[in-house]
Amino acid sequence: MGEAIKVDRKNRKIPVVPEMADRCYTCGTCGGGCPATGLVPGWDPRKAIRAIVFGMEQEVIDSKWPWVCTLCGRCQYQCPMGIQLMRTFRACRTARARDKVPGPIHKGTMMNLERGNNLGIPRDDFLFLLAELGVEMENDEEQPCPGFYVPVDKEGANIIVTINSKEPFGEPDDMKFWWRIFYAAKEDWTVSSVNWEGVNWGLFSGDDPSMKIQVARVIENARRLKAKTILYPE
Amino acid sequence: MVSIFDLLKEYIESGRIKLDKSKIHHTYTVHDPCNYVRKSQIAFGDNYGELSRWVAKQCIDESLYREMCEDYMNNFCCGAGGGAWAMPYDEERLAYGKVKADQIKDTGAEIVIAPCHNCRDQIMKGLPKVHDMGNYHETLYTWELVAKALVIEPWSQEEIDKAHAERDAQFERDGVELEEEE
Repeated sequence: MGEAIKVDRKNRKIPVVPEMADRCYTCGTCGGGCPATGLVPGWDPRKAIRAIVFGMEQEVIDSKWPWVCTLCGRCQYQCPMGIQLMRTFRACRTARARDKVPGPIHKGTMMNLERGNNLGIPRDDFLFLLAELGVEMENDEEQPCPGFYVPVDKEGANIIVTINSKEPFGEPDDMKFWWRIFYAAKEDWTVSSVNWEGVNWGLFSGDDPSMKIQVARVIENARRLKAKTILYPE
Repeated sequence: MVSIFDLLKEYIESGRIKLDKSKIHHTYTVHDPCNYVRKSQIAFGDNYGELSRWVAKQCIDESLYREMCEDYMNNFCCGAGGGAWAMPYDEERLAYGKVKADQIKDTGAEIVIAPCHNCRDQIMKGLPKVHDMGNYHETLYTWELVAKALVIEPWSQEEIDKAHAERDAQFERDGVELEEEE
């Protein structure tokens, strides 16, 4: 016989309050409807919640589970006891040491804080690309947009739009979809020359301070340029 | 702050943009990104499930629409959410996406409309590599679909001249020099 598990309710990395996990009846609604069940041996949403309730949160934090889970929220939406599974699993991501965050999302977050976008695209390259693509749009054979250009740092525009850095980095023509719509609508719009990133990887890496800085930058750009509306096409 | 759906709705309803439904003749379905539907409902008490479908139906005739999930609040994640597209767990991400691939196959649709960068990449570049998706042949962003259906009326010479003057002043201010003018 093993020793009984003693649950330390005070010193915990993932706080166990009723909203988080304590009420779980282990019904399995979460795991039954989760496409990630079975993808990480030993884990599913129900087991992860039980592990956290029993004070084994470090095992969940160290496992791949909180990262293979896509935080889609389906389990939380269906949970009959109102347990905030999605929030709990994101808290597990937050509790992971930053140098152990898988993939580029933490490095990208740091790059964003340092250079204004996740991929470190320099300002001059960005502005030159926008200018070039604008000329291409004017002269496009299928859908010419004479008079089109990308208004940068224009004060008092109706709309300020963020950019997903993967587009200027690798799929620049994809930016033209929105631009054609703006052209047709004769929208008064603008893009900021700095901190234009729309992707918030701090949200996914569980890094709340960085996430808030990123959001604050989007708002700061809108205020600085006196834009009326923020369009956030993520 | 305005969502892409609210803005597109305003453009379409007010007549600021004109769409031609006769440009695309393929069957299509609409994917529900978790952030725009379920998580939006959880966080803000409202969601874009209906509006997302409405916008798509303004671009392609409704008779070609194939529903993927009647209960969009419980639709499945594409498998690449929460940053998974960028994470190193490709095998798990693609296995997760089988649910989405099966849903798409079951609709029989040729085009999937994905109103999210991440979902679009998973459905366009991830899932077709490993899963049978039936009639599927392409994924479009919602705004890409709108841009395709768009009827673009060129601006007047006066508007063009004004824009060129503003553009030139901006390039001068920012030190942008293009090799070839016009």
